[in-house]
Amino acid sequence: MTPPVRVSGIGIAASPDDRTRVAVSPGSRLSAALSTLPQGGSPVRLFHPIEEMAFLAAYDALSLAGVALPVGGEGIGIALGVEEGIDGIKARYYQGVLSDGPLGASPMAFPLTAPNTIAARISILLDLRGESLTVCGGSLSGAQAIGLAMEALREGRSVGVLAGGATSVEPEFLDALCRVGRPDGGPPRGGACLLLLEPQASAGKVDGMAELIGYGEGFGRDEISDAVQGCLEDAGLSPGQISSVRVASVQDSRLLPEALRRVGANAPIARSPASNLYSASFPAAVAEAATQAANGTPGPVLVVGTDCLAGASAALVRGGGRR
Amino acid sequence: MADAVVVTGIGVISPLNPEGDRERFWASLCAGETGVRQIRSFDASAYPYRVAAEVSREVLREAGAETDPVLRMAGAAFQLALDHAGIRADGSDPRRAGVIVGTVLGGTVSGERYLRAKRADDGEVAKGLEQYPLRTIAAFLARKAGFSGPVLTVSTACASGTDAIGIGYRKIASGSADLIVAGGVDAICEFSFSGFCALKVLTPDTVRPFSRNRRGLALGEGAAFLVLERETTAARRGAALLGRIAGYATRSDAAHLTAPHREGRGLAAAAIAALRDGGCRPEEIEYVSAHGTGTLYNDWMETKAIKTALGEHARAVPISSVKAALGHPFGAAGAMEAAVCLLAIRDGIVPPTANFEEADPECDLDFVPNVARRVSVRTALSVSAGFGGQNAALLIRGGA
Repeated sequence: MTPPVRVSGIGIAASPDDRTRVAVSPGSRLSAALSTLPQGGSPVRLFHPIEEMAFLAAYDALSLAGVALPVGGEGIGIALGVEEGIDGIKARYYQGVLSDGPLGASPMAFPLTAPNTIAARISILLDLRGESLTVCGGSLSGAQAIGLAMEALREGRSVGVLAGGATSVEPEFLDALCRVGRPDGGPPRGGACLLLLEPQASAGKVDGMAELIGYGEGFGRDEISDAVQGCLEDAGLSPGQISSVRVASVQDSRLLPEALRRVGANAPIARSPASNLYSASFPAAVAEAATQAANGTPGPVLVVGTDCLAGASAALVRGGGRR
Repeated sequence: MADAVVVTGIGVISPLNPEGDRERFWASLCAGETGVRQIRSFDASAYPYRVAAEVSREVLREAGAETDPVLRMAGAAFQLALDHAGIRADGSDPRRAGVIVGTVLGGTVSGERYLRAKRADDGEVAKGLEQYPLRTIAAFLARKAGFSGPVLTVSTACASGTDAIGIGYRKIASGSADLIVAGGVDAICEFSFSGFCALKVLTPDTVRPFSRNRRGLALGEGAAFLVLERETTAARRGAALLGRIAGYATRSDAAHLTAPHREGRGLAAAAIAALRDGGCRPEEIEYVSAHGTGTLYNDWMETKAIKTALGEHARAVPISSVKAALGHPFGAAGAMEAAVCLLAIRDGIVPPTANFEEADPECDLDFVPNVARRVSVRTALSVSAGFGGQNAALLIRGGA
C-alpha cells in the first residue's frame, strides 16, 4: 500500500463540437483568466481550441485549489496526456505543404504539431517550472499522466502536479483512424480535464476534495484485470471494498464485467458521461468520482479505461476524509 | 533506493550503423565520422536546405516496404538491446517487464502517405494508417517481446528519449517493474523537414556544435534502446552490467515555445536535480554528453546551463556533442547519447565534437574538438533540451 494523493483542484473545459473555440471574445471566461496573468503587457494569443481548453482547465484547477497565479518555481509540474488532439493541426500543416510546397510550411503552425506544445503553453502562461511530461496513450493518455503524477508525488519529487488530458476532435485523421481501430464512447467531443494533485500530507487547503488511493496499468491479454488488480494492490484494498465502477472509455464494453469478476469485484458499473473525451476521458471520470466522493457518495470508486493500443488503466478514488 | 538500476543491453540503429553494429556506431563516432549527407528519402530539391543524416533506406526496406520506418528502426534496435542483454522471451515475468518509447513524430511517415493519398483521392487512403499513432510503436514492441507491464509513450520534443529512459529508471527504482526496455525513435520525413526549414534553424552544409561559425542543425533519424533492470535481477541471471542509471530529472523552462531560455534556466535546473537524485557532487562528473544541436541559441544556452549546474568544475570536464555525426534524431537523440555515455564509461574514451572549426567566446568550455580523447569516465551526465522548454538530464555511472 502506498500513500494516497490528494485531488486538490479540478478543471474541465469541453467543446460542443469539433471546431468551436472555447471563448475568444472579450469578456469570456478564457479572456478573463488570461487577463489575470502578467504577460509583460503583450496580449496572449492561443492558436487552437485544444490550447484554450487545456489552459482553462489548468487555470481552473489551480484556482480552485487556491494556488496563487502565476506559480513560479520548480514545485509544481505538469503531466499531460495528448494524442489525437493534435492530429488536425498536423494534417492542416502538411496539407499546406502539399498545396504550396515549402512556402506552405507555416512557421507558426509547425511548433503546434508537437504533442508537448500544449503542456508547454500551460507551463509558460502559468509559470510552471517543475517536471513537465507529455504522454501519448490514446484514450488512456490522461490516465497515464495521472499515474506518472502519482509517482512523482509519492516519491517526493514534486509538491504538486497538474495532471490530466486534452483532446480536440477533428476529422482529418479521425474518420480513417476509426476504421483501423478506435475505442468506442459515442460521438467524439473535444475537451480537457486537469486535476491538481498534491501529496496527502500537504492537503488541507480545500475542504471536500477526494483522494486517489491507487493506480494500476495492464497491457495485453489480461490488461483490464491486471490493471484493476494492480490498482487494488497499490491501494491495499480487497475487491469487495469497491463500491462502484465508473467506465472512462472501453474498447469492448463486454470485456469489463468478465475482467472484474476475474479479480473478484462485483460492484455496479456505470459509464462516465465523459467517455467520449478520448485523452481527457479518464481524468474527467476521476473528476466525477472525486466530486461525488466529496459530496458524500460512499466510496471507493474504481475508474477503468482501455485503449486499443495502450492497454488498460484503473484508479481508485475516495472521499478525502475517509481512512 | 534499495536496489540500483543497471543497464544490461544497448541497441542502436543510426546513420552510422544502419545494420545495428554497435561497435561500428561507437568507432565511427570516435573517429569523428559524420552521417550528414544530401537527403535521399524524399525529394528535397524545392527546399533551401538539403542535408540530413539518414539511415540507409536500402537496409530499412529489407524489413518490408509497407512498414513505417519508425517501426522498422525501433523493432531492430529493440531486438538488438534484448539480444545484447541476453533476455529471452520466456525469461522474465511479463507483468514485471515493460517498454517506454520516446518519440516526437511516431508514424508521421504513414500519416504523410495517408494525406497524400487522400489528396489524390486514392481509394485505399487508410492503408497503413494504423502505424500513424505515436503509441503504436510501444504497443508493437511490447507485443513483440510479450511484455505486459508498463507500456508508455513519452513525447517531450527532443528530450523524449532521455525522459523515456528516466521514467524507466524510476519505474524500476520504485519497484513498479523489474525490467524496462526504454529509448527513443524518430524518422526523417518531409513533414518535419519542411517545418524546420520554415523555422530557419537548419544548416546548409555541416553541423558544427559549439563552433563560432555554426549555422544550424541537421535532421537525423534512428532508434536506440537500453535494457534497464533491477541490479539483483540482472545479477541473478548473470548479466554483464554496462552501467547504472543513477539519477534523472526533467524541468520546464516556462519561457518560450521554440526558443530556449537564454540563461539555460530549465536545463541547469534539470542537471542539478539529476545530480541531487543520484547523490552526486558536480566534481564527480567526468564527461558531459551535450545536447549540442549546432544552433546559435542552443549552444549558448547550454554552455551557460552547464556552468550553472557544475560551477567551476564545468571548465575541467570534457563535453561533447555527437550531433555533427548523427544529426538531430529527435526522440532517439537522448537515448543515443545515453548509449554514448555508457560506451565512454566502458572504454575510457570520449567521442569528439566533430566539425569543430572556430572557438566561440560564448561557448568557452572544453568541447573535445574533432579528436576523441582517452579519459577515465566513471560518472557521466547526459543532457537534452527541446521545443516547449523541455529539459531533461540523466546521471550515468559505471557498473562496478
